Amino acid sequence: MDKKRILVVDDDTAILRLLSTNLKARGYEVITATDGEEALEAVQKEYIDLIILDIMMPKVDGVQVCRHIREWSDIPIIILSARGDENDKVKCLELGADDYLTKPFGIAELMARINTAFRHRGDASVAPAQSSFTYDGLEINFAKRRVTVKGKEITLTPTEYSLLQQLAVNSDKVLTHSMLLHSVWGTEYSSEKEYLRVFVGRLRRKLEPDPKNPRYIHTIPGVGYHLATS
Amino acid sequence: MKGRESILVVDDDLDFLKIIKLILENKGYEVDTAPSANEGISRLKERFYNATILDISLPDADGTELLTKFLEIHPDIIAIMLTGHSSVQNAVQSLNRGAFAYLEKPLDTETLLSVINRGLEKQRLVLENRSLMEELEQRNKVTNTLLSVSQAVSESLDLQQIVDSSLEKVAYYTGIRISFIYLYENDRLVLKGTHGLSRNQVAQMEKEIQKDSGFIGRIFKQVKPIIIDDFMNSTDTSLEPLKKKGCQSFGGIPLSILGESIGVMGVVTSTTGHEMTDNNIELLTGIGREITIAVRNAQLYEAASSAKALQELDNMRTEFLANVSHELRTPLAVIKGSANSLLQPDVIFDESTRQYFLQSIDKDADTLTRLVDDLLMMSRLEAEALEVKRKPYKIEEVVEAIRDRLDNLTVKHQLQISIPNDMPSVNIDDIRIGQVLTNLVENAVKFSDDNTTILIEAESNGKEIIVSVSDQGSGIPPELHMKIFERFFQGNGSKAGRRKGTGLGLAICRGIVETHGGKIWVESQPNKGARFNFSLPLN
Repeated sequence: MDKKRILVVDDDTAILRLLSTNLKARGYEVITATDGEEALEAVQKEYIDLIILDIMMPKVDGVQVCRHIREWSDIPIIILSARGDENDKVKCLELGADDYLTKPFGIAELMARINTAFRHRGDASVAPAQSSFTYDGLEINFAKRRVTVKGKEITLTPTEYSLLQQLAVNSDKVLTHSMLLHSVWGTEYSSEKEYLRVFVGRLRRKLEPDPKNPRYIHTIPGVGYHLATS
Repeated sequence: MKGRESILVVDDDLDFLKIIKLILENKGYEVDTAPSANEGISRLKERFYNATILDISLPDADGTELLTKFLEIHPDIIAIMLTGHSSVQNAVQSLNRGAFAYLEKPLDTETLLSVINRGLEKQRLVLENRSLMEELEQRNKVTNTLLSVSQAVSESLDLQQIVDSSLEKVAYYTGIRISFIYLYENDRLVLKGTHGLSRNQVAQMEKEIQKDSGFIGRIFKQVKPIIIDDFMNSTDTSLEPLKKKGCQSFGGIPLSILGESIGVMGVVTSTTGHEMTDNNIELLTGIGREITIAVRNAQLYEAASSAKALQELDNMRTEFLANVSHELRTPLAVIKGSANSLLQPDVIFDESTRQYFLQSIDKDADTLTRLVDDLLMMSRLEAEALEVKRKPYKIEEVVEAIRDRLDNLTVKHQLQISIPNDMPSVNIDDIRIGQVLTNLVENAVKFSDDNTTILIEAESNGKEIIVSVSDQGSGIPPELHMKIFERFFQGNGSKAGRRKGTGLGLAICRGIVETHGGKIWVESQPNKGARFNFSLPLN
């Protein structure tokens, strides 16, 4: 199997070196960039599997990099932030980042998040037994990881797709916050409720004709979500 | 119903006078008669007549001349000339002089009545027109005055300026010399300004009045003007200091808008000055309204700008915390990440990588320490709690004491020091000023290429000494010359890959220099290097 290639973007050279040393030691190929412009260039020039992106940088900051990339690509993005407040986190996730880590962080934690992101990219083991799901104009082809609404193809990021697949496979069952966090992200995420809130929001904006009155994904307040087919 | 119209008939024919009096009185007019010009004139001087019937040939005067005299006394009087057939020429002349009509004797009663009627009708129109014009002029004057006051008071958003210029305008437009304004503040009426009072009188006036006490309080509460004609005998103590200078009456005007009182304007007229006519009260009330609007605007502006200032302060605080968090977390991330890397069981790093991680920990622990020191220094400076131990030092001694540190910082640069021997001693905290110099040299190193020169100079101008640090680096655009001294400002020109500073260095320099009573500034243009100067006063 080919080595996975990770782009690390941070204006602090000590952090860049720290991260690349650790990533290389675990078998990843690493490209580095010290500001947003370099990062956008690298993403356009090379094939990249995942981006680790610092948020506070000169020239083009991480938030803008994230927004630009999401205009045309679903590469998993993990944000590193030295701010660490809840608003910042939600803002980054809403812009399309897949994950958010606050500095300082443990190496094991970072590696686990990288694994989670790659898991969403889809390997056969998580593909469901049934081959497709259809309800009221929403069609999911599990084998091809293809989603359409009334025949129109919808582009989802890997994490968005994983969440939708989980809801579809268990349609008409109420999935609790912790069940969803556990199965889509991983055990260590079980208290990150805002991840769910943001990603359900992102899915609704892409799938629902009227995101404020959802037809597919329903909120069960205080409990969780379900994809209703009746 | 208007009063009876009056007619004066002057004729030397006494029978004629009797008959005409009968005829006219019969028609409802009030009639007086005079048999001679002289008596006519003295009658006319006693009272106003609406009309007069004049015989053109009187024994004691020429009718035309008499007409002229009559019109001088009552320009509005309707004059009807009576002529004999022979004096038509004179009659025409008298029309030119201002008579309303002439009638030939013998009189036709119908014609006479009809002419009188038309004459009085014309007079009514003229008088009515004139009173309308007068009213219009009065309105116009009030409007112009209000406009001028409104313009004057709305030129400023400063409360005191508005009050002062208002009182000045009141004096200018109404001739009232003494005036004052109380404004409602914190449940009391506070004296905000006076005009035309001596310093002594102002000192005696009550600075604050309960909102419901005395005349001022009553005007405020009832939102109605109060006029005291016999002001000298009033017992209200708050007005006592105004009573000198032979004052006569007092007028208090509420300052109010939409039924809400914001204060009271008081005026005092002296015996020689104006009286409190209705017109004046109306004008003052109008002026009061304009003042109220301007004062209210100023108060709202004040409230809004203090809310804005608070908001700005809050934003700065949030920004500050975010910056501190960022600056602390970055070295912490390196320390934690490096230590954590060494602790991971799944990877064994080679010796040089392990060394590298340990060095990173060591270096960033130093960075953290410096950051904490800088933050502490910054907070002391901001709380004005920095201790400075001042003693007389020569600037050369200060540089010498930090020479090793400076040499270490500038190993890749050429450090030149040019300080004249005859520099006077200056009263400073040598450690703090040494820190300023170190920070400036450190910045110079950070923003200029290797092998370029960094120059420390000093000069004295008898009042202060000026120390400067110049480099040949990337320079600073003029719009940043002030900004760079703000805390957490980060220059972009720092060489790539270098560790950023704390963003506090220049802010600390400024704080230390200002604590010494000096100033710090930069002279620089992009790509032409920068010269940082600071001055230290020689007391």
